[in-house]
Amino acid sequence: MTGNRTRSKGWLAAVPLLAFIALIFGVPLLVLLGGTFTRDGSVSAANLTESLQGAYLTALLGSVKISTVVAVVGAVLGTFLAQAVVTSRFRALREAVLTASGVLANFGGVPLAFAWIATLGNSGVVTQALGLSDHGWNLYNFWGLTLVYLYFSIPLMVLTVVPALDGLKPQWREAAQNNGANTWQFWRWVGIPVLGPTLLGGFVLLFGGSFAAYATAKAMVGGSVPLVTLQIDAALSGNVLIGHENVALALSLDMIVIAGVVMAIYLPLQKRSARWLR
Amino acid sequence: MATVTPQVAPAATPPAAAKGRPRRPRVWRGAVLVVAALYFLVPLLASFVFTVDDPSEGFTLDAYGQIFSAEGFGRSLLLSLGLGVVTIALVLLLTLPAMIAVRLSAPRLRTVLEVVCTLPLVVPPITFVAGISTVLRWGPDYLASTPFYQTIIAVQNPDFPVVLVLAYVVLALPFVYRSLDAGLGAIDVRTLSEAARNLGASWPHVVFRVIIPNLRSGLASAGFLTLALVLGEFTIAQLLSFQTFPVWIYTISGSQAQVSVAVSVFSLLITWLLLLVLSSAGARQRSGS
Amino acid sequence: MNGARVEFRGLRRRFGATVALDNLNLTVEPGELIALLGPSGCGKTTALRCLAGFEHPDEGQVLVDDKDVTRVPANRRDAGMVFQSYSLFPNLNVRDNISFGMRVRKVPAARRHERAQELLELIGLPHIGGRYPHQLSGGQQQRVALARAIALEPRVLLLDEPLSALDAKVRVTLREEIRRLQLSLGITTIFVTHDQEEALSMADRVAVLRDGHLEQVADPATLYDRPATPFVAEFVGTMNHLPGTVVGDRVEVLGQSLPIDGPAPSAERVEVLVRPETVLVTPESDGGALVMVSSFRGSTARLRVQLADGTEALADVPGHDALRLAPGTKVRVSLVERPVLVAPGTETGDVRTAVPEPDVV
Repeated sequence: MTGNRTRSKGWLAAVPLLAFIALIFGVPLLVLLGGTFTRDGSVSAANLTESLQGAYLTALLGSVKISTVVAVVGAVLGTFLAQAVVTSRFRALREAVLTASGVLANFGGVPLAFAWIATLGNSGVVTQALGLSDHGWNLYNFWGLTLVYLYFSIPLMVLTVVPALDGLKPQWREAAQNNGANTWQFWRWVGIPVLGPTLLGGFVLLFGGSFAAYATAKAMVGGSVPLVTLQIDAALSGNVLIGHENVALALSLDMIVIAGVVMAIYLPLQKRSARWLR
Repeated sequence: MATVTPQVAPAATPPAAAKGRPRRPRVWRGAVLVVAALYFLVPLLASFVFTVDDPSEGFTLDAYGQIFSAEGFGRSLLLSLGLGVVTIALVLLLTLPAMIAVRLSAPRLRTVLEVVCTLPLVVPPITFVAGISTVLRWGPDYLASTPFYQTIIAVQNPDFPVVLVLAYVVLALPFVYRSLDAGLGAIDVRTLSEAARNLGASWPHVVFRVIIPNLRSGLASAGFLTLALVLGEFTIAQLLSFQTFPVWIYTISGSQAQVSVAVSVFSLLITWLLLLVLSSAGARQRSGS
Repeated sequence: MNGARVEFRGLRRRFGATVALDNLNLTVEPGELIALLGPSGCGKTTALRCLAGFEHPDEGQVLVDDKDVTRVPANRRDAGMVFQSYSLFPNLNVRDNISFGMRVRKVPAARRHERAQELLELIGLPHIGGRYPHQLSGGQQQRVALARAIALEPRVLLLDEPLSALDAKVRVTLREEIRRLQLSLGITTIFVTHDQEEALSMADRVAVLRDGHLEQVADPATLYDRPATPFVAEFVGTMNHLPGTVVGDRVEVLGQSLPIDGPAPSAERVEVLVRPETVLVTPESDGGALVMVSSFRGSTARLRVQLADGTEALADVPGHDALRLAPGTKVRVSLVERPVLVAPGTETGDVRTAVPEPDVV
């Protein structure tokens, strides 16, 4: 990087940032990696093997399952909502929905769990008003958690997909009509393919958000829904056999690998859609 | 968990022309909007009703009054705010000079910076904290005889846990990078600084009087995203056992259900307020330039 | 392939407070290339979009070969359209863009690709079938858009300022090519533009629109030489306004007596409208006029000359005379002996402000 133009000292300004990341981000990750392959002081794959068995595997699959469901449902519903807003003639509606989405997409963690417990929990306002308990309603299971995760996932999808919908040029629809295509044919051959990368990118973001979610689940369902984040929490808090503490690190590594694979799919797609929608 | 996201610029391209549309989409659109409004508003309203409706006394705002007198409320909120401010300062101090310099004189380093700053997105906070806690646990054993030992103890001071600031800077990096990158992309940094240099400005003058004022909305959104992240972050603080605001909410929930819901509503209001401040700051800049 | 007859009959269209079309009547003959010319907001694009089916008139009809198509949906109309820019589908390569309409009509893939290749050769780009729109230059994109518009052999071709986003050089070559293609296919073509040079050089007839109605429709030469209204005179080409006095059926201007084109007005004081190329400039120390500015354009030079009474006039002189007529030269100004247009003074004054003229030196 040096020798580039006369002001070659510029890269020095990036050194503190890179050093910081290497130390604060890199060292814990290296320790995590090292710990995963260490048991009783010697190199071993036992932690990793254990993290992919029994209750740990169930939790890992449980996390993947809920994240996939939330991402699929959230992406579809978020896109419909975004399309409804983008095609609306009311400027104020658009602004209101975008602002609300900005807030709600950040509304996670413990407060979100409490808001839903107050609404649809066993003594929640809506549960009591509609007598839902008599019909076997229970918020504290897989579908209840899905409902709650969608609360921040759909706004996130709206924020992701609105710029792409704005980028769909009216000429494309008109050119398609001019060539004899009806609405369905336009969406099938042009609209959805053009939006494809953005939709998939939104799916990945939603997946990642639910996959990493921990606070909401902990405050809401405790251990009744198997999730990898809750298992890591338990293992880190010493809730494991003596000598098996590093299973938490192995589980973390599993998570990072899954998140990394999902991200790796997303980034190239992001590039392509940016080029199309420029 | 902290799902902090970048915002869509409110003044995007105008929506596609909707002149003379047939009627059917309007019905469809109305239905979508009504269902969405119900889904998003009912929990908010229900939470509020839950906090003000006492089975024996009827309507009461007691729960909100109790927030302020509850044990630990002030301390944890102040701690979270303090962490937020220090995190913003540190993350900007690290990223801003690096990003400006890279744009001006080391464009090839830009990809490296982008990748490095995006990496934390791949690492869920709970796995990050698993790594950190391991370092904090093992560190003292290996470093007992070196000055690092004192450092590791000092960063865990429960009155102001510096280790949380460090972790939050890492978590905030992707969002701060994107905000600033968008801001720097919107103003042609090279031309601006060359014009200023040509008029005789010194480098500090260029950075503080030319670039930063033009970067206000990018800085504001980076600041907001960081603050929202810190105020909502639960995972790392909980697992490292520090009493930040979200951890406090969780702790009191066992005994006082109404108060904890009231605090949740309260924290949503804070976020909303921050966002309004941010968007009005952004709007001021747009109209000013 | 032969072209259809297109007729706009009493079209009205209003967007809120603005009137885009105000009783537009116009007939386009089969196989003709007609240019709709006018300043922005004159309704020319709205008229085109009414024909394409993207816009529906509040009143009036659009007829194609005497059939009323006003209420026919856009995707059932027999009219290919080229948009201003960026209309190619970004996710499809050039071949699939061109054969999009055939895909809609379920033409077999082999036949589609054969036809696409034919069209690519027709537009002179036989080797780009596999490329994507973002890999093409602006001119190439518009050629492909043209190929896509004619792929289904429509009987009407609509061009909505297709050249306005291109470089000057590309613009000129492409407009010649469009014209060549249009003549060989014999397709009725409506070309919307705000560029008068484009309209005059390409069209069989030019229709000048103003505020949603037709000012004049005529072949380019007639339009230029005998504008029907002061607005047309002003909008098409550059016009000088010189003070003159009517004497019988002639007008006195710059010390010359010239015949009046059309009926003589009742007013005595008039403005005489003359084109810069009919203004003659000769160096003469006591000619009474002074060259203020000269801008060299290669084959000609345009001079801004101050006349004895203080009014200014534009004159086009041969390029090789530019040096003799440098700014500061004292000159004599006269007019070519031919009939001239006259207009009552006040009205032309209004027109002058209504039409900005970026072309003036």
